[in-house]
Amino acid sequence: MAKDGRRKIGWGARPAKAFAGLALVAGLAAAGLAGAGTGPAEAAAGRRVQVTGEVVDTWCAVTGIMFAYGTAHHQCAVWCAIGGIPVSIKDAAGNFYLVLRIEEDETNVATPRLVTIQSHEVTVDGELVERDGVKYLLVTKVADDKGVINLTHEEYGVQPFGN
Amino acid sequence: MIQTETRTRYAIAALAGLAILAAPHGARAAEAWGIEHEREVKLTGKVVDLLCALRIGSDPKAADAKDCPPDCGGGRRQLGLLTGAGKLHPAVKANADFAGATVDLAPYCGRTVEVDGLLIANPAATLLMVQALRTDPKAAFVKADRFLADWARQNGKAEEWFRADPKVKAAIAADGVFGIRGLEPKP
Repeated sequence: MAKDGRRKIGWGARPAKAFAGLALVAGLAAAGLAGAGTGPAEAAAGRRVQVTGEVVDTWCAVTGIMFAYGTAHHQCAVWCAIGGIPVSIKDAAGNFYLVLRIEEDETNVATPRLVTIQSHEVTVDGELVERDGVKYLLVTKVADDKGVINLTHEEYGVQPFGN
Repeated sequence: MIQTETRTRYAIAALAGLAILAAPHGARAAEAWGIEHEREVKLTGKVVDLLCALRIGSDPKAADAKDCPPDCGGGRRQLGLLTGAGKLHPAVKANADFAGATVDLAPYCGRTVEVDGLLIANPAATLLMVQALRTDPKAAFVKADRFLADWARQNGKAEEWFRADPKVKAAIAADGVFGIRGLEPKP
């Protein structure tokens, strides 16, 4: 397994290059038209929500490439947040809310505020916008922060790489 | 474990090199990770600021600096790919360990690119991993690992950026590996 948990490797060329080339030209043309005309599709309407859950690294948690919760995964969650991978909040029902804004911060890559609450159990108020299979959350206020309460290290140690 | 991983990485690199040599110019294919709901894809679309695309849509007159900063935030904002079919996919992962895709995509803000990577169509969230990209269909794909070069320019060389990064060190020094001050791994 590689550093961030890759399970399977499958480099190599794929067949049907001619069709792929045609598809690419068509795709580029279509996207270019979209950019010039309709642009970034329709604006999505949001709704006010309150979400309670654990602050998680979106990539590790959604893909399940490693155990990605609580104390065991805290260090990796910090790596990923500082590396620019989006942060999400996972609620008890298993919903992921990808955080695109945290309070007044106008940036959302490696945001210090998000780094400091990695793995914490929080309750946040915000605006939810859903589009194309993703729940995006614009957090207006962190209403409660219980800190790291998901004590998973006894069972899982340090994920990945161990202690 | 690290030594084993290093050997594995050399083997992967060798196999990748052979594959590239055997492949026609620019024909890179995505590297499968064996993730549930994963699909190897080549997606063409426009690089967009996710929040801008969600909040403002296509009307530039409605855009304000908060939702739609210039140049997609210049590397400080999460980006996505808006396909010709109107699908918006968040580009959450690059082809570098523990790194997002903003550094690779930000230079192409508002431009059309072709991404070679993985689409994780998990019912909980659909995510895009950018493994390589190109703007010219006749050109070769470029590996999406610009984060590493950028990081090295700012911080110097390191075998593992994520252990050497000063912000990571500060965060771990403050709250520990487990995120709870005073709680340390057993030796």
